[in-house]
Amino acid sequence: MRAKFGAKLLAVVLAAGLSAACTSSDTGDEDQLAQPGGKVELSFWSWAPNIDKTVDAWNAANPDIHVTLSKQAGGGDIVTKLLTSAKAGNPPDLAQVEYQALPTLVSNDVLADIAKEAEPAKAKFAEGVWQQVTLGTESVYAIPQDSGPMMLYYRTDLFEKLGLTVPKTWDEFAQTARAVRQKDPKKYLTTFSANDPGWFTGLAQQAGAAWWGINGEAWKVSVNDAATKKVADYWGALVNEGVIDGKPMYTPAWNKALNDGTLIAWPSAIWAPGVLEGNAPATKGKWAMAPMPQWAAGENKTGSWGGSSTGVTAAGKNKAAAVKFATWMNTDPAATDLLIKESAIYPAARDAQASPLLQAPPAFFAQQKDFYTEAKAIADTAVGFVWGPNVNVAYDTYKDAFGKAITGKTPFSGAVDTMQSATVADMQKNGFTVTS
Amino acid sequence: MSSAVTGRSRRGAASRRVPYLFLAPAIVLFTLFVILPIGYAIYLSLRKVKVSGLGLGRNSRKEIFAGLENYRDALADPELWSSAGRVLAYGAILLPIMLGLALLFALLLDRPRVGLARFSRLAIFLPYAVPGLIASMLWGFLYLPAVSPFTNVAEWLGLPAPDPLTGNSVIFAIVNIAVWGGVGFNMIVLFTSLRAIPGEIYESALLDGCTQFQLAVRIKIPLLLPSLIMTTVFSLIATLQVFTEPLTVRSLTNSISSTWTPLMKIYSDAFAQNDIYAAAATSVVIAGVTLVISFGFLCLVQRQAFGGEHR
Amino acid sequence: MTTLTSSVPARSDLDPETPRRGERARTAWLPTAVLLVGAFYCLLPVAWVVAASTKSGSSLFTTFTFAPGGDLLDNLSDLSTYGGGIYWRWLANSLLYAGVGGALSALVSGLSGYTLAKFRFAGRDTIFNVLLAGVLVPGVTLAIPQYLLLAKVGLTDTYWSVLLPSIISPFGIYLARIYAAAAVPDTVLEAARTDGAGELRIFGRVALPMMLPGLVTVFLFQFVAIWNNFLLPFVMISSDGRFPVTVGLFTLLNQGQTVPALYSVVIIGVLVSILPLIALFLLLQRFWRLDLVSGAVKG
Repeated sequence: MRAKFGAKLLAVVLAAGLSAACTSSDTGDEDQLAQPGGKVELSFWSWAPNIDKTVDAWNAANPDIHVTLSKQAGGGDIVTKLLTSAKAGNPPDLAQVEYQALPTLVSNDVLADIAKEAEPAKAKFAEGVWQQVTLGTESVYAIPQDSGPMMLYYRTDLFEKLGLTVPKTWDEFAQTARAVRQKDPKKYLTTFSANDPGWFTGLAQQAGAAWWGINGEAWKVSVNDAATKKVADYWGALVNEGVIDGKPMYTPAWNKALNDGTLIAWPSAIWAPGVLEGNAPATKGKWAMAPMPQWAAGENKTGSWGGSSTGVTAAGKNKAAAVKFATWMNTDPAATDLLIKESAIYPAARDAQASPLLQAPPAFFAQQKDFYTEAKAIADTAVGFVWGPNVNVAYDTYKDAFGKAITGKTPFSGAVDTMQSATVADMQKNGFTVTS
Repeated sequence: MSSAVTGRSRRGAASRRVPYLFLAPAIVLFTLFVILPIGYAIYLSLRKVKVSGLGLGRNSRKEIFAGLENYRDALADPELWSSAGRVLAYGAILLPIMLGLALLFALLLDRPRVGLARFSRLAIFLPYAVPGLIASMLWGFLYLPAVSPFTNVAEWLGLPAPDPLTGNSVIFAIVNIAVWGGVGFNMIVLFTSLRAIPGEIYESALLDGCTQFQLAVRIKIPLLLPSLIMTTVFSLIATLQVFTEPLTVRSLTNSISSTWTPLMKIYSDAFAQNDIYAAAATSVVIAGVTLVISFGFLCLVQRQAFGGEHR
Repeated sequence: MTTLTSSVPARSDLDPETPRRGERARTAWLPTAVLLVGAFYCLLPVAWVVAASTKSGSSLFTTFTFAPGGDLLDNLSDLSTYGGGIYWRWLANSLLYAGVGGALSALVSGLSGYTLAKFRFAGRDTIFNVLLAGVLVPGVTLAIPQYLLLAKVGLTDTYWSVLLPSIISPFGIYLARIYAAAAVPDTVLEAARTDGAGELRIFGRVALPMMLPGLVTVFLFQFVAIWNNFLLPFVMISSDGRFPVTVGLFTLLNQGQTVPALYSVVIIGVLVSILPLIALFLLLQRFWRLDLVSGAVKG
């Protein structure tokens, strides 16, 4: 009796397994063209605020290609979910992807090579920007959407009150940090966040860091290069000295510190006005933007924090239509103006940066009339950077290693060494050829 | 007492199939959503990814057989052992506090002449209705010195502002969230058991001049022992699976690493580092350990709940 | 064997305020005070969320924590209009997942518990032990394999992908078995069988009504477990229109770096999301048979 039942159960399970095998085999990459009169359905993952307005505008104008938006939690979560869903064979057709995640996704076969379809879009972007989506190869993996050149934001009223000048070099920045503590022990110039690896990477880029590089058929990995260690130890000394705060960003406490003037400056990126407006509404009109402090006087460089692109997945069945939408969204003035206005995005396309909407400063910075002229000048000084295939591992290690260094008051260069060994170990484990 | 359908039943074979048919939905669902995934996890744990070249071309990533490599790596990882140690310490602090408070509250509720008992009972039970994710978020707001009301209280008393998220006190911060979420539920379980004890048992003791305190210690607690054991066992299981609270609080502090508990390590391997094979191996190791614990658990449950049932 | 209703005398009415025979109604101050401290501790974060939900985004972190503001209605309308009212959809989804999942789980657990308690058959203990061991398997370890397997049958990102794995509840089967053993007298089953009723009919017409309070308890447990579950829907569901409220609030709290977290919307959302559970508990309170957990309902 039991045996008979067991056999039945086994049959049920096997049937389930079989049907599983059958359905999973039909995810080939044949490109279904839209049948005449038929409607193409595209799914799109994004986390940009109000991007539904842009998608709605597309759907209204293109009845034959319908895009369904699914809002996701953020850049990191999207990568995780894309990897899992691609493994399972059911990713969306398009997704918003941060530049640093592109190699990870390409290496996992998530993104399609759209070099052919995206050819017309190439001319709309500056060469440095376009390079981010080609990874230095002949292929194209995404259409650039926005960029995040870093700049220094500071409270004009508090700088004046404390008798501070805007630091032009990192040496001056350190002096300013000490001066703040001297004049008002309740305030800090800024905080060093162990929760935001993208922020630290931008700082390291400015100093000339090159974490990944391609050397023939091998990856060169040097997360702990001299430039990065210089940046890490610079901040480590200030945090351990107690003149820079060591609490993470993007917490309620951080919001409050921005609001009540406990933190009076923030090295951030071009999208910062939107964040400040949302998190520190009480400080409207009190902020100004300046170029980042430099490592050598007279230099003119900056790094990038954030910035994203629109990728088309390899498993999607309507590649051509998907690229058409991605190109429209990131280059057509109608779309980019909506992105600027509704989603507070600084567009990557050259024409879009000249939009009339970007002639006036953001409302939160109304007194800084030349905000976007200045911002464009700074954006042009952003240095390039090659991302590796396991940025996720390096970033994940960053949080643990720097968190430990801050609580244990150990040199930050040790944390950078930890990042390097974890990144290399992960690549070797996966079979990459790595040189250093 | 026994009426079980047995072989002697006149309806014979047909009725002998009945219990299996009745159990079929549970068994099929259990197989599909527990056993099959575990089997799949074991399969994944024996595999790994092999990249060729730069790993940028199509199909440059292949899944290959890895043998026991993932297990070797998992067991050799000091992070796994320290996270296991941390969970043991966490449980050693949490269980006595949570169950002690639950027992205290239950006994007090069972006392006569307690004012506002219904209000207190509902208030203490309320956190059960709050998801762990949200509870951690709420406590996070109360922990951060910059936004915490405790800071105002401390300033008023002339004390330094408490900062439970730094250094070693972070484990207590997590324990507190778990106590808050769990004490009410356990209190109600114990309280319900207390109410099921017939009142006559107490009467002679009270006539002998027993105080309420003596009554609680000498009579009620011994009678509650079976319930206490069961609540301990279920709390222990929940303790070993601690995950949501530290994961949520992590974004507020530098003191919680991504591998703070074993389940967080699995989560980090699978979701942040995209290595589902390593995550699967660690999962299987943890499942193995819990299996060993489960033998003790099952023996206990059998004796506890079904000792009196017909066999 | 005593049936359940008679084995629990009047005392078990969850209301100890009714004074026992011969006791004077003078309040015992120390126990009252201790309980009120406990209540205060448990209400503190809830009070915080109530106070915070009345504040605008700009006064949220700048005014004293428990000082109420006057923006409750503004916050509510922000919540309602966010993403075209998607919050209410999340709430409805949560009700669907937890309600349907809890009901199916109670039914399957009831049938299984009844069978395990009232039938004698080969492999009974083995089946029960294996099912019960399921309680020890953490959801985190199952989520990814479950996702990959469901993806193979094309069920991810559907309501089924959250509902189906939620039906099986080892804890529910355990509770149902205890309750069935205590609440369904063998003599009644014998009598029904003598009358020639089929086994399914006996379960549906005789055993099920007797087990109802126990099944309500199983339902409530599973309802709360599904409602509070975050990881399973987080992994399974990618369309925001099918998110339950926990995942929805999580996405609001963790917008990307370039977007400020919508704290005031999240906080009012948290408050509103707690209310249905509180209502459910108050409503079903008297069916709550928590003595089941400790196996104390033996006759």
